[in-house]
Amino acid sequence: MVQIEADVAIVAAGASGLAASVAAAQLGLKVVTLEKSSTTGGAANMGMGPLGIESRLTRAKQFQPTQDQAFEVFMNYVHWQADGRLVREHLNKSGETISWLESLGVVFSEPASYFPGSFPTWHIVQPESGHPGPTAAATMLRIMTQRAKELGVKLMLQTPATRLVKDGNRITGVIAETQSGDEIQVNAKAVIVATGGFGDNPKMIKKHTGFDWGRDLHTFRIPGLEGDGMRMAWEAGAMSTPMRMELSFGVADPMALGLEWLPLFHQPHLMLNLQGERFINEAEGNDSFKGNAIALQKDRVCFFVFDETIKNEMKSYLDFINLVIQTPNVANIDEMIQKAVDSKYPHLFVANSAEDLAAQTGMDPVGLGTQLAEYNGFCEHGYDEVFIKPQRYLRPVKQAPYYALQLYPAGYGSLGGIKINYKTEVLDKEWSPIPGLYASGTDACNIYGDTYVFQLPGNTMGFAITTGRMAAEHAAAYIKSLG
Amino acid sequence: MIKLNIDGREIEATLGASVLTAALDAGIYIPHLCDHPDLRPAGICGLCVVEIDGVEGNPSSCESLAAEGMTVRTTTKPLLELRRAAMETMLADHPEECTTCTKYLNCELQSLKQYLGVSEHLSIERRNRHIPVDLSHPLFVFDFARCVKCMRCVRACNELRGAQVLKVVEDGEEKRVGIETGESWIEAGCRFCGACVEVCPTGAIMDKPELVQGKRRKEALVPCRANCPAEIDTARYVRFIGDGKYAESAAVIREKVPLPLVLGYVCVHPCEGSCRRALVNSPISLRNLKRFAVEHDTRHIWKEKARHEAPTGKRVAVVGSGPAGLTAAYYLAKLGHEVVVFEALPEPGGMLRYGIPEYRLPRAVIDAEIDEIRNAGVDIRTSRKIESLSVLIDDEEFDAVVVTTGAHKGSKLPIPGNNLRGVLDAVGFLRDVSLGTPGMIGNRVVVAGGGNVAFDCARVARRLGAEEVRIACLEPRDKMLASPEEIEEGIEEGIILHTSHGFKQVMGDDGQAVGLECLDVASFSVDDGKLKVEYVPGSEHVIPADTVIFAVGQRPEIPEDFDVELTARGLVEVDEYSLETSIEGVFAAGDVVSGTASVIQAIASARKTASAVDKFLGGKGNIEEKLAPESEWNPWIGKAGDFASEQRHEPCLHNPEERVTNFCLLDNGLDEENALAEAGRCLNCNLRLKITPVKFWGSY
Repeated sequence: MVQIEADVAIVAAGASGLAASVAAAQLGLKVVTLEKSSTTGGAANMGMGPLGIESRLTRAKQFQPTQDQAFEVFMNYVHWQADGRLVREHLNKSGETISWLESLGVVFSEPASYFPGSFPTWHIVQPESGHPGPTAAATMLRIMTQRAKELGVKLMLQTPATRLVKDGNRITGVIAETQSGDEIQVNAKAVIVATGGFGDNPKMIKKHTGFDWGRDLHTFRIPGLEGDGMRMAWEAGAMSTPMRMELSFGVADPMALGLEWLPLFHQPHLMLNLQGERFINEAEGNDSFKGNAIALQKDRVCFFVFDETIKNEMKSYLDFINLVIQTPNVANIDEMIQKAVDSKYPHLFVANSAEDLAAQTGMDPVGLGTQLAEYNGFCEHGYDEVFIKPQRYLRPVKQAPYYALQLYPAGYGSLGGIKINYKTEVLDKEWSPIPGLYASGTDACNIYGDTYVFQLPGNTMGFAITTGRMAAEHAAAYIKSLG
Repeated sequence: MIKLNIDGREIEATLGASVLTAALDAGIYIPHLCDHPDLRPAGICGLCVVEIDGVEGNPSSCESLAAEGMTVRTTTKPLLELRRAAMETMLADHPEECTTCTKYLNCELQSLKQYLGVSEHLSIERRNRHIPVDLSHPLFVFDFARCVKCMRCVRACNELRGAQVLKVVEDGEEKRVGIETGESWIEAGCRFCGACVEVCPTGAIMDKPELVQGKRRKEALVPCRANCPAEIDTARYVRFIGDGKYAESAAVIREKVPLPLVLGYVCVHPCEGSCRRALVNSPISLRNLKRFAVEHDTRHIWKEKARHEAPTGKRVAVVGSGPAGLTAAYYLAKLGHEVVVFEALPEPGGMLRYGIPEYRLPRAVIDAEIDEIRNAGVDIRTSRKIESLSVLIDDEEFDAVVVTTGAHKGSKLPIPGNNLRGVLDAVGFLRDVSLGTPGMIGNRVVVAGGGNVAFDCARVARRLGAEEVRIACLEPRDKMLASPEEIEEGIEEGIILHTSHGFKQVMGDDGQAVGLECLDVASFSVDDGKLKVEYVPGSEHVIPADTVIFAVGQRPEIPEDFDVELTARGLVEVDEYSLETSIEGVFAAGDVVSGTASVIQAIASARKTASAVDKFLGGKGNIEEKLAPESEWNPWIGKAGDFASEQRHEPCLHNPEERVTNFCLLDNGLDEENALAEAGRCLNCNLRLKITPVKFWGSY
């Protein structure tokens, strides 16, 4: 077996692994980074930018929150179902992470929030052409990759790590497979695992979160996120943490429907469960809350319902836009609906009466009739007695045809799996650090309790980068202590 | 060599290289998409533009020849602008849908988007092209809505393969890559070689997900070889047969197994089970081709390069002379060790001779292959049953012992009457027949069990003269464990099947079996490896028989004095890595470790053990041999003709009425004409691995 010598071996080159690679190389370590894919950046290429608290940019704009505020908001949101010390380290270092990224050459556009009431912690990357928007963060990952290589990191693409090497209780390397199918061994004093979770592994999703991907869950599946790092760490004795999906909500098979529908079902119109009843204030801007609420309904499904009048109003005005859906163009909503009907998209229903809608969707007809009468009454009186949806969004639903789009829990990848402490050291089942083993990013991100902290957007990418840096720094100190 | 300057660096390049190749070879990355290391430059994508002193405009570096003294710039601002504009033009025609594309992170377009810093919010308007996904191809998925018209697939199909299938088609005003509308892939002449998939930079042409997901690359793309436990280079020996080079073909097989002809007759051929040609019409008849190659090898060139190391002075005892024992002995002898094989039975071969009926495997074939093993220096001592390993280690001073005693103890179901006269177990029955001492076989035989061994027993019973032979088994017909050809040939020979039958007792009269009482199976399922069977109450009925043979599995019989640790299943326990048993210097291989398996699994297991034993004795453990000559296959496979519709060629079986009268071989194998035609049906899946992999920007 070919042997490669390094100070630190980093498993995967997503946002977290790249941050760890650059930071470790800046500290003078000899770094070998193993990446399964042909492209670095992993899931983060799809994203827009990381969180930063008290960054140079937010301070210049006098944007809140401060580090202390952010910590309180965070811990109250998660009901202290998280390692507060780790959260504090992550949040306090996040602003400096932004400066660090800038020092590498990353340019950020103005920090943004995601929905009304959330904080402008989201540092969206300025791409080199086009406008800041989906996939903008890819540019940052390219810059991080280039810096890593300039600093001498040995980046091995298409080389998946397969298992950790342990000598006594100490981690001393990692074994990987090259493209030709041969095994290589990287001998290292420390290993950082940062493989990004198991969002592309339906079996693990089922086992660890109970969701049945493709049936009651329609999250992104970033190819290759199969829980490799978690498996390797667990095999080496790591303790596991609770695991969850990073939920929001969405449609089944979004490509078949068309991405132009994305802004549409984020509007604050009726959401009804199979009983034909409402279950949330539809103007709730936190997509994770909506995902949670849908997951509590029968069959984990709901219907986004609007009528002909609302449909026509949406052609010229949408209540909610944000930076992901910043240039919504649903003026051609009639064509969009026609296309979905023509292509027999099975989750969109057009009905000529409320009874017909119930029959097509499987909603309880009595429940639906009662609910529409009640809701239309709220709209008439201007007060939603049940869920307190603001008056400006209260539009009666009474003009046929009626439209219903089936929505499910959806969203991003998995969260958590490997237990780390606030130094990113991986802990064994006795809560003792496994010498030489560190984990960062999504594999170790179990700081949200049961719900993604959408209040502070950019959190998951921010945690990935900041903990990647932390892992490099702590690994460097550990290696130094070995002499 | 010539010298030129790129971005201020003096670099060397070979005469005739393009500026792009020169730069990439020197580690200077210039973004490119339509260029591919194995294809002629095309200058289509507009990404690899550069500035060259003395040349006007912004030439494509892929189409510009590197010249002595040339000065090239690759990263000026105008060039970056040009590249981003070219990128946006491509993206405008490409769906904005990375989140659902399985090519993501292995997509060159996405990698370039990252490299060039292009966001999904383009400066220009996107077009949505509604080209339906084509799922009609047996191996690949064509989603031309994702095509960026780099023409790599068209060039690979024409330039590299000469297959002339993919082209630019005009659909109204829209030009697209593909085949004519309404034409099938077979009509278009597809050779199923996968060159188009291999070179496609985006998700426009991909392998069907079920063929590749969760599999390693070689396993997915050349499954015949990856699924052979001994890793015989299937594609290579088939190709040699196609070229009429039978000795070379046999040498390829010999590189991995010492019993090639035995395998040509009886291998369970997992290679065929995974052959991708099966998805087009039917798999290549690989086992018959193997037999053909070995039987037509008149030159024996494999002997020329066969390993033969100088004596090491170490002595190894092998206990048991089945396929595992013979294989371990053969390789250890070639490594220079003195090897003695101890066989309890009168002749060597183990299950090959005493388990497999002669009509499937002629004894002369076994004898000839064992002679070659003896020629390698192996000393085989028969009728020598070993009862204690310490005799070998302490008294006879062997340095290492390999236990390959197989699984020779037949089982009977624990039901009343199983000890009556006329009740046999399959292993014992077949062994007695091979020893020439068959016990009493009645006229009415029923075999209990549904695997290949059950058919062996039934077909042997027919040949011994039994008039009425039945097979009864628990499984329904479609879940029977026997291979389809065994079932078919058995039925041809008059064997009567009773499927979905459970067994209650053997009925007896005065100590002699007279029938097998059965129950009908109401439901049969295997859940998590556990068998679940429900019977129809009150469905008891008796199949009259004077001989009942249980073919319900077999297990090792390990003498107590061996003193090795056993597993819960009664198999010899070996260390996963060292392959050593609980006793130092004692190894084990084959059925005695794995439980009943196939000849090829026994051989594969013994190869690994031979290597481990050699390491234990101080060697390097290298048993690999290169016996066949090097060969560079011509990737130009040309136009298809009737390639896709060509049916599988099978040897012609002798007629069943004649077959049951004797123990002669079932067929004469493939003749030369059919063998050549069969080899010509191979999809050449391995050619795809010869295409140079594209290096992404992160690798420069």
